[in-house]
Amino acid sequence: MSTTAPAGIEPAASRVSGNSFKPEDPANQLLVALIGPPNSGKTTLFNKLTGLRQKVANYPGVTVEKHIGTVRLTDRRDARLIDLPGVSGFSARSADERITRDVLEGRTEGLGVPDAVVLVVDATRLETQLLLVEPIMELGLPTLLVLNVADELEARNGRLDDEVLGQQFGVQTTRTNARSGRGVDAVRDFIASVGDSGSPDRLVPRSLELRNVTRRSSLPLIDVFAARRRIVQKAVAAARYSAAGPSHLTERLDSIFLHRVLGPLCFIVLAVLVFQAIFTLAVPLMDGIELVIAGSGEWLAARLPASWFRDLLIDGVWAGVGSVLVFLPQILILFLFLGILEDSGYMARAAVIADRMMYRVGLQGRAFLPLLSAYACAVPAILSARTVADERDRFATMFVAPFMTCSARLPVYALLIAAFIPEKQILGPVLGTRAATLLGLYLLGAVAAVSTAFLLKRTLLRGKRSGFVMELPPYRIPSLRTLGLRLVDRSRIFLRRAGRIILTVAIVLWVLMQFPRVGGEPPPIDDSALGRTGQLIEPAIAPLGFNWKIGVGLVSSLAAREVIVGTLGTIYGVEDTDETSIQLQAALKRDLDLGGAVALLVFFVFALQCMSTVAVMRRETAGWKWPALQFSYMLALAYVGAFIANRLI
Amino acid sequence: MEDPRSQTLLNELPEPAPTTELRLTEVPLREVVELVRIDLPSDELEPLLERGVLPGCLLCPLLYSPAGDPIVRVDGSLLALRRELAGCLCVRRGVLPVH
Repeated sequence: MSTTAPAGIEPAASRVSGNSFKPEDPANQLLVALIGPPNSGKTTLFNKLTGLRQKVANYPGVTVEKHIGTVRLTDRRDARLIDLPGVSGFSARSADERITRDVLEGRTEGLGVPDAVVLVVDATRLETQLLLVEPIMELGLPTLLVLNVADELEARNGRLDDEVLGQQFGVQTTRTNARSGRGVDAVRDFIASVGDSGSPDRLVPRSLELRNVTRRSSLPLIDVFAARRRIVQKAVAAARYSAAGPSHLTERLDSIFLHRVLGPLCFIVLAVLVFQAIFTLAVPLMDGIELVIAGSGEWLAARLPASWFRDLLIDGVWAGVGSVLVFLPQILILFLFLGILEDSGYMARAAVIADRMMYRVGLQGRAFLPLLSAYACAVPAILSARTVADERDRFATMFVAPFMTCSARLPVYALLIAAFIPEKQILGPVLGTRAATLLGLYLLGAVAAVSTAFLLKRTLLRGKRSGFVMELPPYRIPSLRTLGLRLVDRSRIFLRRAGRIILTVAIVLWVLMQFPRVGGEPPPIDDSALGRTGQLIEPAIAPLGFNWKIGVGLVSSLAAREVIVGTLGTIYGVEDTDETSIQLQAALKRDLDLGGAVALLVFFVFALQCMSTVAVMRRETAGWKWPALQFSYMLALAYVGAFIANRLI
Repeated sequence: MEDPRSQTLLNELPEPAPTTELRLTEVPLREVVELVRIDLPSDELEPLLERGVLPGCLLCPLLYSPAGDPIVRVDGSLLALRRELAGCLCVRRGVLPVH
């Protein structure tokens, strides 16, 4: 047994009792686990109950960590609710399923055994989802069976007597629609009732163990499931269940999106439209932000007395941070698009379309979803690789995820493309040269990811090909509120990074450019401390077509990719003190020729300039070996790629 | 003679007439069939079993993905199966009228 077993047999009464409920101490609060099959609506319910904003989307495997929130019950009491990764069974083949099992068995440090379970199932897929009831009932905890989207079951001509179903399993039941919030109060009431009742089984010390069908192999696996299904069938028959009819909308849309010709075509058209939108739709917004930043800079500069502080503020901070902020609209357009894909249910279809390629590479189709989410950011993508059951496939997925073009690369790409690629129409107004270049950079990243995975699966991570079973969720109209909240959250993250990392870098760079003083004045930039340091590394990057200023940008972008934009903004801001507005593109053209610009783009496609990614890799692989290998491999590829690009152009 | 893997298989139902048994990949689209047997080693069964694909269940192939992998309806949910995997599912026809 596990070394944390004592936590599992801790008397429940020592932590919770109906009378001595102390809301201020979390350890005394009721602990309720939210569990269910993937994509059944747990996190949506969790957010409704706790007021938190954990990520939800319409595909299986969004939640890969446990999240704890507080549910406010009546009479000022609170309970703790844990949202868990979805599971279909308890053999815990994948890392996210292990998290769920550990929490239910009370092995998670600092948590103890839950006092109650809220089991959320999707009523439109009832029979399969109920396979989970029997192992949950074995825990012997007060359980509420939540029939989510039961309204949809009825809308699709299904039928169910909830009360009889509950009696069959010996649990309470309730209907919800977690998205609209209907029925959520009943869940709150259930939690409160568990707190009120001094139910005898909670006063008895106990240890929990979920039946792990592969660990206890007395029965063949298939018999275990056959037995479970017989129980479910008996229960649903008693409850006069009739299944939901097929969702006509979903089947009609699938006949388009998964069509042999139309499917891939739709995918390409969608992608092209987004890349074009990033350049055309975002422009007015970006111009607006640029105007505000430049205007506020001038306004401030005119009102502050001439001093080192004014120089730092205007030439260093305003120019540095401002040049990155301009890219917020483009990032938001990307996230809006990704959000629509995720919430509509299209993402899972994209995974099916790409699965053949994944098969040739040697990866599970499941690995495609983390890779798609890496278009937003590699960090959550690496975490969501936990849903990939095979350890070798999981490592390969994590290793190649940073090649997918994350949103932090977008400001760098957009800046260089706008500066060096003249806009011409390729396919009328639908696709211009700039959008096509951007699309090309995204493709280059994807090709690098796929080829690296192919290489890994034939060398370090050799393993057999596994089958692919993937649930396709029904299509849903994305909720405007969810999309809006996501954009708000994303803006917040972007602004926080600009306010912390980029601000700090801007100040440090500004200071380095002020010394050594020449006659009490700042030195010419080439002779400054920054210039001298930069010139030390120049020989290493000169073959790529970069001078020392770009080199400083590269070094600072090791913290995070978009920092290079801020760095260049600060350097040019100090260099051109008489220029109050940000003329980053014009200044860049002095330092880079087309070959150098393309080389810089290629460098950013391949290099792993992100400390957060390195840190999360270390955590997920439990060591430095993989992140070190990943960093060196990507750096080598970036250097060689940039060198070749600079030579060719 | 006999496939060594069949040791691990389960014939939960009485053996159907051989003429009606075929692979899922051979079933015409939109025909409902009953799963009879899964020709896979037992350690590869679980992802299917957990999603309700076990002998006795009803399957209905709805369409093929661009790469030729079947999308199958099982108890109200849609599952995408690789065609290699679908080829391991032995099914019986004539359970329900085609719809």
